[in-house]
Amino acid sequence: MGVLDRFDLTGQVAIVTGAGTGLGREFARSLAGAGCDIVGVGRRGEPIEAIGEEIRATGRRFLAAGGTDVTDSAQVNAMVARAIAELGRVDILVNNAGGGGAGRGKTLPELTDEDWHQGIDTNLTSAFYCARAVVSHMVERGGGRIINVSSAWGYRGGRNNFMYPVSKGGILQLTKALAITYAHDNIRATCISPGMFPRAGDPERAAALAQVLPAGRAGLPHEIGPLALFLASPASDYLSGSAVIMDGGVVPAGVTPAGVVPRAEG
Amino acid sequence: MAHVFSLAGKHALVTGATTPLARALAVALAEAGANVSVTTTRDQRAEEVLANSILNECWAAAGVSGHAKTLDLADPNAVEGAISALERDVAPIDILVNATHEANVKPALEATLEDWRTEVDRNATTVFVACQAAGRRMVARGHGRIINLVSVVHDRAVPNCALFSASQAAVLGLTRTLGIEWGRGDAAVLPRVTVNALGLGFYDGVAGPQGDEQLHAILERYIPLRRLGQPADVQGAVVYLASDATNYVQGELLMVDGAIASHA
Repeated sequence: MGVLDRFDLTGQVAIVTGAGTGLGREFARSLAGAGCDIVGVGRRGEPIEAIGEEIRATGRRFLAAGGTDVTDSAQVNAMVARAIAELGRVDILVNNAGGGGAGRGKTLPELTDEDWHQGIDTNLTSAFYCARAVVSHMVERGGGRIINVSSAWGYRGGRNNFMYPVSKGGILQLTKALAITYAHDNIRATCISPGMFPRAGDPERAAALAQVLPAGRAGLPHEIGPLALFLASPASDYLSGSAVIMDGGVVPAGVTPAGVVPRAEG
Repeated sequence: MAHVFSLAGKHALVTGATTPLARALAVALAEAGANVSVTTTRDQRAEEVLANSILNECWAAAGVSGHAKTLDLADPNAVEGAISALERDVAPIDILVNATHEANVKPALEATLEDWRTEVDRNATTVFVACQAAGRRMVARGHGRIINLVSVVHDRAVPNCALFSASQAAVLGLTRTLGIEWGRGDAAVLPRVTVNALGLGFYDGVAGPQGDEQLHAILERYIPLRRLGQPADVQGAVVYLASDATNYVQGELLMVDGAIASHA
């Protein structure tokens, strides 16, 4: 079997949270493109239906789980039960749902309990709920893959930026704990750490980012889809616990991405 | 539709291609469609035989073409000459995989300055020399992929591996900085030069502490996936990093280690 044949998910089923928009939509597309059926999870129904229509048109099955709040464990458990009942199995979980909004820019005294819980629950607790809901099924089936989504912020801090980096750092640790705990059950846990991937349709934001990012440009959402395929497929069978960064050099360059170029002497 | 990770039409050079791990890397690149050339680490007859046998396996696996060059990788003139000849006789080098990877296991108090220089030379200087020679051409063309192997020992202390550890940290620092130095380009031009590291845990078929039978048994229990890595385990990762799917992956370390680095 050639190495390219290992990037294949034919006949498998993946749950992708936050599948209706942004990077989640790209993960769903790439997994489906490799033969995987998709359970698309999202708060809003409409974007989920739209990606579902696109994926069904390629011949894959798509179970629409719009209207699901992944910060509510009862809803998560019900969603996973429905996925298993309707598609028969879950091989892959992509914990992509998240958001960066709550409380950013507020000073510590200004942050409310609600800000804190919203940020942590959306980005971190949701991944815990989803992993907990699928793991017994994966153990029974003899294996699986859990792919979490962290961020370049998982490695670095920012002024008046509390919940997002804290939750994304937590995702890195959740990944390691899952990898070590379930390695013997043939479940691999990995993490995708994206840098800046502004939504399409915001050229001003992309242009501003291009000035400060080490690659001279922001990421394009479609660039990151294949990474989920690599991590979900047998091509990465010995890869577990790792966070795989796709950020155009933001984390390696640190806080001196642009303009800080020490001059050669002499 | 072309496979998202296809390397068809590209020319890959694997340096130090005389180990089982390097063989697996070369064969994977060939299977993904690249023409593969290989070099030895030292200018020796035994290495020449191995390099040619790897090239033959690439040819048998995928029918791709390429050349084997016998040279001393630490000699910048020899490397420059070999890369110049390969670009003339085969094609411009799109992908450089530096696969030299040897560990001198010795207590630090017993290591001589000569041991230190040898370790740094064969594991790090060779990588710098090849990156510079191939990278100069890639930067001029505006695209290329460089992938360097880095052991988990760059970040974890293993007794008697001080020299190897230092050499691996050197390769990682080089990798990250080259990525930032060479990766900035015209925002409209997507394929660009990327420089990344493929991180290894403990593998069969690699010289180093894992060669010790007793230690091998301990590692098998300690590695969460309960086995040492096999050369085939790096194949998907090298194809991923070499492919056009990683235009936005720069200066990164992709660990393929059976989750050993996740341990406390």
